[in-house]
Amino acid sequence: MMKCLLRKSVFFGSTLVALVFLCSGVTFSQGLDKEISMEENIPTNEGLTVKYIATDLNGADRALGQADPYKLELQIQDLAFPNGGGSVQEVEVRGFHNGETIFFGIKWNDASKNDRAIAHAQFRDAVGLMFPLETVKEISPEKPFSPRMGDRGKPVNIWHWKADWEKELNVNGGKEHMEDEYPNMFTDFDFNPDPIRFHKETYESTPLMAGGISAESLLSQANRGRSVEDLNAVGFGTLTSQEHQDVNGKGSWSNGKWDVVIYRPLETSDENDVKFVPGMSTFFNMAVWNGNEGDRNGQKSVSIRWRPLKIETVK
Amino acid sequence: MTLVHNWHLGRTMEYPYFESRPEHQFAAVFNINRCIACQTCTMAHKSTWTYSKGQEYMWWNNVETKPYGGYPQHWDHKILQLLWDNGNNPMEWYTSAKDKDETKAPYGLYNGDTIFELARTKGLNQVAVGYIPDDKEWRFPNIYEDTAASEKTNYETGAANESSELPEHKRWFFYLQRICNHCTYPACLAACPRKAIYKRKEDGIVLIDQKRCRGYRKCVEQCPYKKPMYRGETRMSEKCIACYPRIEGKDPITKGRRMEARCMAACVGKIRLNGLLTGDYRKPDPKNPMDWLIHIHKVALPLYPQFGTEPNIYYIPPRWAPRSYLRQMFGPGVDEALDKYASPSRTLMAVLQLFRTTQTMLSRFEIEDGKKIFESEVMGKKVEVYNDTVIGFASDGTEIVRVQVEEPTWESDEKRMITY
Ligand code: SF4
Ligand code: SF4
Repeated sequence: MMKCLLRKSVFFGSTLVALVFLCSGVTFSQGLDKEISMEENIPTNEGLTVKYIATDLNGADRALGQADPYKLELQIQDLAFPNGGGSVQEVEVRGFHNGETIFFGIKWNDASKNDRAIAHAQFRDAVGLMFPLETVKEISPEKPFSPRMGDRGKPVNIWHWKADWEKELNVNGGKEHMEDEYPNMFTDFDFNPDPIRFHKETYESTPLMAGGISAESLLSQANRGRSVEDLNAVGFGTLTSQEHQDVNGKGSWSNGKWDVVIYRPLETSDENDVKFVPGMSTFFNMAVWNGNEGDRNGQKSVSIRWRPLKIETVK
Repeated sequence: MTLVHNWHLGRTMEYPYFESRPEHQFAAVFNINRCIACQTCTMAHKSTWTYSKGQEYMWWNNVETKPYGGYPQHWDHKILQLLWDNGNNPMEWYTSAKDKDETKAPYGLYNGDTIFELARTKGLNQVAVGYIPDDKEWRFPNIYEDTAASEKTNYETGAANESSELPEHKRWFFYLQRICNHCTYPACLAACPRKAIYKRKEDGIVLIDQKRCRGYRKCVEQCPYKKPMYRGETRMSEKCIACYPRIEGKDPITKGRRMEARCMAACVGKIRLNGLLTGDYRKPDPKNPMDWLIHIHKVALPLYPQFGTEPNIYYIPPRWAPRSYLRQMFGPGVDEALDKYASPSRTLMAVLQLFRTTQTMLSRFEIEDGKKIFESEVMGKKVEVYNDTVIGFASDGTEIVRVQVEEPTWESDEKRMITY
């Protein structure tokens, strides 16, 4: 009954409110998110040092073995809608550079390998590194920098490695298709999964009507040639893929553990890319998605507070 | 969350964005009584938009058999179950005269939680209650085709004879035609954390921006009507686009005038009328066939208004199904709508003739009086039929159709019959 009375009273009052917004004709987003806490703006003391080691991609695994590991505790993302994640508690990261390229080696425990996102409730494993786009010397409650994917006027650069993109680097045609998930999709009764022979038209039909491909979304494309997406954001919901993709990676899963290397030239010509200069310091943050738990978007395990990142000088 | 007015519910409700209605709203009236489940609409849709790989299971338009059928399977049972929340959220309506308002609360006041409010009440980490149907549930666009409710169901829901006398039909079923409702408060749009879904200001059509979508499937999860669908081939979601190039008048056949969507124009049973509602629901245009049927005559009702999205496909409920079942599906406006449909007024009789006479969208109708041709009694009410002429106009004022209530017929000369 209370609810009834309450809603009836707002019914008339709202007409005026509604009118105001009708006239303004603007749709505003209303914050569903938790208020930012002071603590969020205090970076941790310890961070990651990116060592100088003179080796290339071939020697990356060995070099990363020499670098000191830095462990980040992860937790459920409960700051912004839609919340979730938290199934991955810890991620270990190491870094080195050779004066030209910066490498990050990332390891985390994940009992299930989820490297496909084709069926309805199928989600990929992924890991993300986030950096303030401009070099930031200090982050503090007085000089805040939102760890929630940046803010207006404070963009971030995000490197997002995806398990399915990694797998697609090595499959025929550079992309997995419906028939990889549903091998019998072309045959109702005889279960002969030879699509070319019986259903050539369907097999080749994708480009005829495919919004994602026409919109040139990287997600829909074949032969991306990389497993890491280079993105920018200025807050939740603003994640945008870059025109110039500059980040690469490689990853493998064994014995319940992902082992991923993400690398990029220290500097690129793209103004949307974070620049790394040997000797500098900045900050970084991480997130891990567990496909088996339905993680995607804001449903992720996050490190919350910024971590210092130091790039050693060239020796 | 903000408070917005939902006239289906007769009250304000919580929604993540402010109220911002379009200038016109894409809408349609489906007369369930006439549907023959030929699925021509379904195939019109299929052959236009979803014939490519990864879209095999997608039916943006589907016609299902109620009460058992559903695509995806059990979609409405599942949402109702979620909304019922173990009895904590009885979906009750107040329908006394003081709970009603001609324009703002025509069906009364809904006192339960909507899908948005229940998510808040329960403290869920999402905008609306919902679920992602699994692969199996998407398999059949019309499972339980023509399966009637048992007599036991009849017994539980009450007899179906309130507006029809069909004693030989103890069992009942009906067809429900479903497309995306291009809701005023779309749950798909509200659920998308990336704002990849938008509602067009000019015609209220709800679209997924294929450049912004990242395949999170939040819309699939939270649209209560289950009309956004994930396409594994492109790793993103797609939904009914209301054939927007036709609505914009881009098809040369209608010479730049707005054209009805494909599923509407293809309807063999002549059950569909597609048009634009006046954006401001408080000022319906009595000469606009959509406004008249929905806002003024109230013979066409929204599907599951209690979900709270203010859906914009309106239905004339079937006369032969039990009222309690229909009230759950179309809200408390069912009785008034069925009374009006069972003994139609002169205007209703005329407007119903406009269904499927042209594929040009009609934005105005006029009626020219004709003489009385029939008189009868239905459910104790007198019904008089006049051979009026109804004229439909496009938005530019051009006369598009002119039809009479009584269809002209000719009798062939006996001599033309050849017998051997
Ligand atoms: S029916 Fe579903 S997909 Fe269509 S506008 Fe409404 S909430 Fe969105
Ligand atoms: S085309 Fe018309 S009559 Fe046929 S199934 Fe569709 S809505 Fe019903």
